[in-house]
Amino acid sequence: MKNDIYEKMRILADSAKYDVSCSSSGSDNNHKTGELGATHNSGICHTFTSDGRCVSLLKVLFTNHCIYDCSYCINRKSNDINRAAFTPRQLADITINFYKRNYIEGLFLSSGIVKNEDHTMALILNALKILRHEYKFNGYIHVKLIPGSSDELIREVVALANRVSSNIELPSDKSLKLLAPNKTKEKVLQPLKYARDISLEKETKPIGMSTQLIVGATPENDKDILKLSSVLYDKALLKRVYYSAYIPVNDDKNLPAVITKPPLLREHRLYQADWLLRFYDFTYDEIVNDDNPNLDEEVDPKTFWALQNLQHFPMEINAVSKEELLRIPGIGVRGVYKIIKARRFKSLNFEDLKKLKISLKRAKYFITCKGKYQKEVSFYKENIKEAIIKPPKKKIIQPSLFDMDYSAITGEL
Amino acid sequence: MQVVYDGRFEGFLTLVYDVYYKKLKPINISKTKENNLFIADIYEVVTDENNANKVLEAIKKSFNKEHLNLILNIFLCENEEFEMLLLQYIITGFKDKYELNNINNPFVFKLQRIQKELFYTVHKMYGFTRFVELDDGTLYAKIETKHNVVYFLGKHFFKRLNNQKYIIHDINRKIAFIKNDEYLGIQNISSFEEPNISENEVHFAKLWCEFFDAVSIESRENKKCQQNFMPLLFRTYMTEFNQKS
Repeated sequence: MKNDIYEKMRILADSAKYDVSCSSSGSDNNHKTGELGATHNSGICHTFTSDGRCVSLLKVLFTNHCIYDCSYCINRKSNDINRAAFTPRQLADITINFYKRNYIEGLFLSSGIVKNEDHTMALILNALKILRHEYKFNGYIHVKLIPGSSDELIREVVALANRVSSNIELPSDKSLKLLAPNKTKEKVLQPLKYARDISLEKETKPIGMSTQLIVGATPENDKDILKLSSVLYDKALLKRVYYSAYIPVNDDKNLPAVITKPPLLREHRLYQADWLLRFYDFTYDEIVNDDNPNLDEEVDPKTFWALQNLQHFPMEINAVSKEELLRIPGIGVRGVYKIIKARRFKSLNFEDLKKLKISLKRAKYFITCKGKYQKEVSFYKENIKEAIIKPPKKKIIQPSLFDMDYSAITGEL
Repeated sequence: MQVVYDGRFEGFLTLVYDVYYKKLKPINISKTKENNLFIADIYEVVTDENNANKVLEAIKKSFNKEHLNLILNIFLCENEEFEMLLLQYIITGFKDKYELNNINNPFVFKLQRIQKELFYTVHKMYGFTRFVELDDGTLYAKIETKHNVVYFLGKHFFKRLNNQKYIIHDINRKIAFIKNDEYLGIQNISSFEEPNISENEVHFAKLWCEFFDAVSIESRENKKCQQNFMPLLFRTYMTEFNQKS
């Protein structure tokens, strides 16, 4: 066999690795007696790659053959790379056997386009049917919907999967036109809108959906990106937006050169901002606006917001509401719950917060405890920012040989 | 007063009983009698199932479920010096169970942290436990963990491997969670022979390693991050770190 199964796995896993999403969370337990597989609400990481990313699902392409020629994509038609394809049966067997050994939570299936959209979607659906109906598999399945495939196929996939997604990839139509001439934002979002509508019809819990945006390949700023995410969240269309620092894989006149480093810090800041949108009740225009269209590199977005809005601070830790506590830099959701729990019993001071293992590194500049404010740094924007970026070094007293008064020969004091 | 008990849950409950009915005032509780002749004031608890049960019933009656579970979980943590904290917890709970929600109490906070550590291990092991298929189709996993998590794992996999037979074997504690057609639960394993592994095993292990190597992105390599999420101590029996191909 020329293209043996190991090589196939290598090629099709390698082709899928730039897809960031690998979460298996948000699905309630749905095991059945006498069957295989269950999902876990918080999601489970089964291993971590050497780049530190969680592996939860068997994330592969069904095939990396593709009729499209998107500039940023490693699998574009014009690239001379090894091509391979699974059969639905092969894929289902591997999934079951990996699952039994507890290698994975389930399957993440995406694909290049072979022949046409409907043909590709039907192949994926076929694998799903074998898994769900024949093997009675109840583990997690995430399917990348193929934009442009028929409503009927999408309906069937949505009925069998735990999560579906469709990658927008580029935050504006202009960039899409330039780099992915066969795609438009409308076309990419169409299957997601349809999937939302049918899961709303059923009055069941709507199916989880996500998308991915590439960061740093095109000139959009963080404001454009976060505005788009925020709109998608508000319309209840998506559960997650993933951001992927652009990693050059192709030489193209419209793209940054292959030697550029992926903008990992920017990606990190975008995720921080995304968390503020989803869990801290921020709106996108609080985080970025026309004066500051890009996220600050030196401090995290929450700290940046707080520094711009010092009129709300310092907050009295014993008095302010839960929503206000959530706005304090350096204090997360868990910290807020601890504070609320603890202050029912007593009025808290800085010492109490430390005992509760709440990090005060940044928070201490934005809070008072029983009316007291920390003394090292005065309450001015510049001073606080300075202190956060360059925390005062602890004085280390280094004993020097020459400080001590002893004989170099005998060592006697 | 130094108090010694046998390290079992029943022993500890008897200790609680004795604290109430024999007016013990322990300043230190240990599992083994220390070789210290200078401590004259040693009390040795004689485990009494009857008294232990009385205490357990009393706890069940007057504690919330959450607090009762904490007491049981702390016992599965092992290694930690938890006895004095737990005694204080139980005494406080009998007096005023509301006080057990007060995380400003150092013993409440510390016990919750110990419990959190246990849950951390449990959650990691949900993902990192690896089964191999034996020639009769049973799935077999070896584990070595800091805390005693076999019960939690057994329960977890009961949902997902519901139509399979499996064994989760804690090598250090010499116990195993076994699920087959006749038995479901934990057993002691005093000695064992390496079981026969099915022919399929090499194939899928190799396929998994191919996958694992292929999904890593070189330009983002970050071994430190990998190790934060997956400390070396978990990797002993993980297929992808043991397969030399």
